[in-house]
Amino acid sequence: MIGTTLLFGGGFQLNEHGARSMAQAGAFAARAYDASAVYFNPAGLAFQKQNSVYLGSTFISPEIDFYGPSNLGSNKKTSMKNQIFTPINAYVQYGITEDLHFGFGVYNPFGLGTEWDPMWDGRRISIKADLQTFYFSPTVAYKVNDQISIGVGVNIITGGVELRQEVASVPVGATPPIIDLELSGNNFGFNVGLLYKFSETVSFGASYRSGSKIEGTGTATFTPNYAALQLPNGEINGNLELPATAYAGVSMSPMENLEVEVDFQYVGWASYKELKVNFKADQSSTVLPKNYENTYIIRVGGEYSMDALKIRGGYLFDHSPVPQKYVDPVLPDADRDGWNVGFGYQLSENITIDAAYLFLKVRQNTVTNTETVFDGTYNSIANLFALNIGYSF
Amino acid sequence: MKNYFGVLLLITFFLVGCKDDAPSGIPGPGLGGVTVNKYISIGNSLTAGYQAGGLYEDGQIYSFPNLIAQQLKIAGAPLGKFEQPIWGNPGSPDISGKTARLEILAWPASGPVIGSSGATAGVATNSNLPRPYDNLGIPFAYISDFLDTADFVVKSVPLPKIFFLHVLRNKSYGNSVFDQARKVTPKADIVTFWLGNNDVLIFAIYGGTAVIGNTVIPTAPTPSATFAIQYGQAFDSLRSAFPNAKIIVGNIPDVRAIPHFTTVGPAVAASLEGAFAISYQKHGTTGAGDASSYLTEANAPLLPLGAGAYVAKIGQPSGQWYKDNSITLPAGIDTTQMFGLDYRNPIPDALILDSLEIAMAGAAVTSFNQTIVTVTAAKGAALVDIYSIFNGIKKNGLKIGGETFTADYLAGGLFSLDGIHPSSKGAGIVANEFIKTMNSKFGMNVPQVDISRLPGIPAPLGKYIVNSKSGLKRSYDSMQPFLKQ
Repeated sequence: MIGTTLLFGGGFQLNEHGARSMAQAGAFAARAYDASAVYFNPAGLAFQKQNSVYLGSTFISPEIDFYGPSNLGSNKKTSMKNQIFTPINAYVQYGITEDLHFGFGVYNPFGLGTEWDPMWDGRRISIKADLQTFYFSPTVAYKVNDQISIGVGVNIITGGVELRQEVASVPVGATPPIIDLELSGNNFGFNVGLLYKFSETVSFGASYRSGSKIEGTGTATFTPNYAALQLPNGEINGNLELPATAYAGVSMSPMENLEVEVDFQYVGWASYKELKVNFKADQSSTVLPKNYENTYIIRVGGEYSMDALKIRGGYLFDHSPVPQKYVDPVLPDADRDGWNVGFGYQLSENITIDAAYLFLKVRQNTVTNTETVFDGTYNSIANLFALNIGYSF
Repeated sequence: MKNYFGVLLLITFFLVGCKDDAPSGIPGPGLGGVTVNKYISIGNSLTAGYQAGGLYEDGQIYSFPNLIAQQLKIAGAPLGKFEQPIWGNPGSPDISGKTARLEILAWPASGPVIGSSGATAGVATNSNLPRPYDNLGIPFAYISDFLDTADFVVKSVPLPKIFFLHVLRNKSYGNSVFDQARKVTPKADIVTFWLGNNDVLIFAIYGGTAVIGNTVIPTAPTPSATFAIQYGQAFDSLRSAFPNAKIIVGNIPDVRAIPHFTTVGPAVAASLEGAFAISYQKHGTTGAGDASSYLTEANAPLLPLGAGAYVAKIGQPSGQWYKDNSITLPAGIDTTQMFGLDYRNPIPDALILDSLEIAMAGAAVTSFNQTIVTVTAAKGAALVDIYSIFNGIKKNGLKIGGETFTADYLAGGLFSLDGIHPSSKGAGIVANEFIKTMNSKFGMNVPQVDISRLPGIPAPLGKYIVNSKSGLKRSYDSMQPFLKQ
């Protein structure tokens, strides 16, 4: 009954989980040399010499302009409402023995949202979409020898989604009802990693994080709730498909004080085939095809050390998982280019700070013949700033 | 270290805010060099904005010609107000002077109760306009009425014909639709012309019958040859009066595919179990059914919405339909027998399109549309293939901007409560088809109507949309008998 489109997409996968890695475009799986290895490659924990805590947050400011709907011959510009998102990351790394390390992390690998004016042209598709996930990941890593380490973690996942859109048709003069859908649930997942140091200067890393299906429950609220429409107010359920992802990276040190890394990240979005929400009140359901495709991200980054200061930079290319037919204002995704810069500074023997900036440019995307029949052109960018503090002991 | 910060800041400022410019290649609204100083619409109830069994202001505002006029203005046409023969809410009267407009009066668990609110009918609010209307759509008009210069005041006496008087009003503006169209100034440079539907539709709506006094007589669609001559004449006159105008013509949708016919029949068929069969009167007969006039589960009949109230009486000794319509009981009918199940008390011809009538209607639609294609091609008019568009929606539904439309009654959203005329949103969809044709044929760039901003029917969602078939099945039996002549 409702033209709901779910949220998850390239745009709702967050890949920024620490300012140090982010400044290098997330090309980090082959090194994973701080506690954020819990996310990037748990095997990296095993090579870390000092125990550490690493805490930070990313400020994300996306901007989206829509020109259309072109299927109605309009090229009117509508801008998404400005929002700031602040996903967090917090990690601990502790060496139980020299070879066996324990890690723990809390982070948000899927999130973000979009919000449009309640009276805008696409309000029957989306007024607001908001997604949050929290991953809690106890992790162990083992150093097999001086070249090889492995790691494994359990992900305790809690996630929630809120969707708002206009539904239903009403007679002249009446206010169309708005539906607010809220779904949340929990599940488990796992991740594994391998790190292999070919030599002093070259290393290889790979990690895999399982997908997870969150069986969400929640409520649908209609405002106003016209009795005559017999709207299925109340309990709902539906599944949130979180895709699996894998990293493979090679790093090398071509000269003293310089490290560079290239990573390939694979994201198993094909698991996201449809969104189905079931309404308990009248046993009805709505099924919307999504048909996302598996996709990849290429990451190139590096770090140059000058004593206490480290200068970092990188570039990433994120290939959109959303087929053109399924691009809509909930997630106006397209291929993205990201340029990253940042630095780290050793404040004292135990304390470091890291800062990163990422300019993410979503390539201009003109869509026609969309599933929702809401065509047009999307221009989107995002500015991301991250700050982390590390403490070692 | 300060130097590095400087570099970082520079890079940052360079990157922040460099979003792409507005896309090129999406042209804004425009008329593409076409002069549009006046637009007029000629047609029947579909043009008038007649909805839900009546003509009323809240429906007329969303007539497809008025929607087109508003879009032409957005595209830059210097049109003034598009003047329509507004019938103030709650609209035109039924035979008792109450509003004829159908509304959902209640929606108990058993299904919707649809009928007139019983309020006193409205009055015309724009009848003092000192010139002919821009919208010359007249409900119940046949193609012949386009040229008919007979006295429309006299013609307007039987109830459905009151619309001739309502629209044409004043003989000083002309005696026919055509006369009045010619007198609109400035001279129209865009004309939409959508006539011919009633030449087959009215036959079908009344089950191939008409009630004359206390008896029922069989009817037929306008003969194909007659239609071809009349349509050709009408179009010749139109073209000679507007030699340079852009004329856009709609053809005739398949009357068999509208929810007026496809709602009750399948529900009845689904309720028939195996051996049960329903007796009906064949086209042109008034007496008992015979051995070959039975409906079975496999033979899903086309029953008009008005039959809904009577199929609920199937199996009971009932002469309700004859009573309601003041029909003298014809020879061979015995209303003490079980209605519909006994051949001596069959479903009356008026409440069913039997196989012969379905074939007659189908042949008429096909033939009329052939005439329309031939005539419009010869006379340089653009054709909107409403027939194929509606059949496409019936088959596949129509999605637009997050809304889905189907040809289902109530829940489908395309048709108004009478199951015949488009809803306001349906009118928007029709307007957009005309606009698309204008744009492609004449190189215009008129923006389409935003369907999401048009009012809809407050049909319950949930079950009725997800599984409209079962929703309708459970609701047919409480529908009020409407669309009585």
